[in-house]
Amino acid sequence: MPDRSFRYPLRWHVMDALERGADILWPATFSRMTGWLLAAPAILLVGLLVLGLIQIGDASMHVLDTSTFRMSEAYTLANYADAFTSAVYFKVAWRSLLAAALTTALTLAFAFPYAYAMVRTRSATVRKALLIALFLPFFIGQVVRAYGWLIILGNNGIVNDMLGVVGVEPIRLLFNFPAVIFGLVQYMLPFGVLMLAPALTAIPEETEIAAGSLGASWPRAIWHVILPMARPGLIGAGIVVFTLSLTDFAMPAILGGGSQDFIANAIYDQFFRTADQGLGSALALMLVALGSLIVGAVFTLFGAGTLALGARK
Amino acid sequence: MRYTGKGLTRRGLMRSAMATSGAALVAGMPAGRLLAQDEPEKPSEIIVRAWGGSWVEALKAGVSNPFTEMTGITVRHDLTEDNEIQPKIWAAVAQNRMPPIHVNWDTTTNATKSALRGVTEDLSDLPNLANTTDLAKPVGLDGYPIVNTYGYVYVLAYRPEAFPDGPPQSWRDLLDPRFDGRIALYNDGIGFHFPAQVAGGGSLDDIPENMEPCWDFVREIKALNPLLGEDPDFTAWFQNGEIDVACTISTNALAAQQNGVPIEWTVPQEGCKFDTDGLWVPQGLPENELYWAKQYINFAISQEAQQVWLDGLGLPGVVPGLTPPEGLADDPSYPTEPEDFENLIRISSEVQVQNESEWFSRFKEIMQG
Repeated sequence: MPDRSFRYPLRWHVMDALERGADILWPATFSRMTGWLLAAPAILLVGLLVLGLIQIGDASMHVLDTSTFRMSEAYTLANYADAFTSAVYFKVAWRSLLAAALTTALTLAFAFPYAYAMVRTRSATVRKALLIALFLPFFIGQVVRAYGWLIILGNNGIVNDMLGVVGVEPIRLLFNFPAVIFGLVQYMLPFGVLMLAPALTAIPEETEIAAGSLGASWPRAIWHVILPMARPGLIGAGIVVFTLSLTDFAMPAILGGGSQDFIANAIYDQFFRTADQGLGSALALMLVALGSLIVGAVFTLFGAGTLALGARK
Repeated sequence: MRYTGKGLTRRGLMRSAMATSGAALVAGMPAGRLLAQDEPEKPSEIIVRAWGGSWVEALKAGVSNPFTEMTGITVRHDLTEDNEIQPKIWAAVAQNRMPPIHVNWDTTTNATKSALRGVTEDLSDLPNLANTTDLAKPVGLDGYPIVNTYGYVYVLAYRPEAFPDGPPQSWRDLLDPRFDGRIALYNDGIGFHFPAQVAGGGSLDDIPENMEPCWDFVREIKALNPLLGEDPDFTAWFQNGEIDVACTISTNALAAQQNGVPIEWTVPQEGCKFDTDGLWVPQGLPENELYWAKQYINFAISQEAQQVWLDGLGLPGVVPGLTPPEGLADDPSYPTEPEDFENLIRISSEVQVQNESEWFSRFKEIMQG
């Protein structure tokens, strides 16, 4: 005789109810479409972006009529011609690319030892301290951090005050290209470390011990063993830092003194200063194309690194 | 040109209501006694876009607070930059949405773009316009899509310590190598083009056909690595000892001086640009809110409001008989008589608007090079 005192746990009832509800909302006959259902949010997000790009693409093919401040009806590639033939946009694009490359190289150079120390340290206190130091800047926005550097590096700032103590005249540390790079590297460092840390965690410490037991010094083990194994992390971090730097607006605007514009600043100028949405849109699309081409080339040559999320190249 | 897409009936109603209500408003009647029968329903607040710092404080003291006292309508100030609110208004009008603000305090050049685009309401029925000078009328536009509210000068502001022999006499004095990295200009070059045209050996009559003398002088200045920024940057740079000279609006120099920054200003022999700011109302407001937005502007061009508002800004208004702020009566940045304008350069907004993009591009080309 069955035991009638037996009762299913409550959570089983809850799960059964949820399953019945799911059956009503998404019947088993739809199961072949489940993959699409899961992909729907991503499709929606990408779809919205594509719609926006189509609108920007459309706007980019109309020139501004300064007698009415409306876009012309006729379609034309004049905005692209202006952008390609303008010395100022070439200069600004070249500066953006150079700055993004330098920022990526410097950020990775600083981020690797930081992430390595954070992953390998045996002291929980040191690890926590490094994590806190890493995350603290996230609570301070980019603009505020840039203004912080204005205070620290200004003619009357702390650095020049300290130089004054040893008899050095105030030096102009701000409003030039190196100041922009400095601000960008400081801003990008947490991104670099956070992208690198999982890749370094995945490298067993035993590999270093093995390299040492075979006679490799620690620097040689880092160079020949850890760095190659950390390549996916370096590529992932590099792509994130490069794309963020390439499209940055605030650092060149605040630390550049007005003469170190990036492409994003030029786009802002067209949209908001001269009200030329056509040229602004053309520049925006060219920035998207430039970034996509470079990232595509990196993916092709070196793979997507940790951004591939374990997928084979 | 189209300043309003609404019917004449409403315009007629507005005009008749304003003709009677305007005088009452300016006379400072208490809110409860203002046209109890004719006035449209009052909104709880109106939103006025303004520049921050001393600019908005002066507007509050001279216009917004008295307006609230008289009408009971709260005035909220939106400090979005003028060039950033512009596309938002344009988009709202294009999409038949309610605009984000009721009144836009704008440069006349920027406002002219909106007028040419046809997104501004007609303000020609404001009763207080009858008491204003020609400065209130936007040049090159039909009617009053904008009401200019005061004029201002892009002066040469300087640190007296950097000029021990007295104020600079010419814009060319800035070419001294000791000012390398110590000059500041607006990042779009605004205010500097026209004196640069003269300093570069050109003529104002050649604007806009031949601006090469201007660009030549800008190149000479570029060799001295000037800083490029906005109003707040100039104050900060003067305060932090980053610059010795700047081409900036006299109000900013005055505000910096009042905040203890050692700064003076002058109009060099080549002259300085004189321009105006104004107020305008975007299309798409409900009728009652449009009425009160126009009342706000009508009050802003009353003598009572102008006196207090422009005392705060240190600028000459558009109503005769204003008393200059202390110390500015004979100042070149406070022109009131015809002879005061002899050394000031005024180019029509129409010319500026149509060539701004080209000038901006040339200026950037030099400065980013």
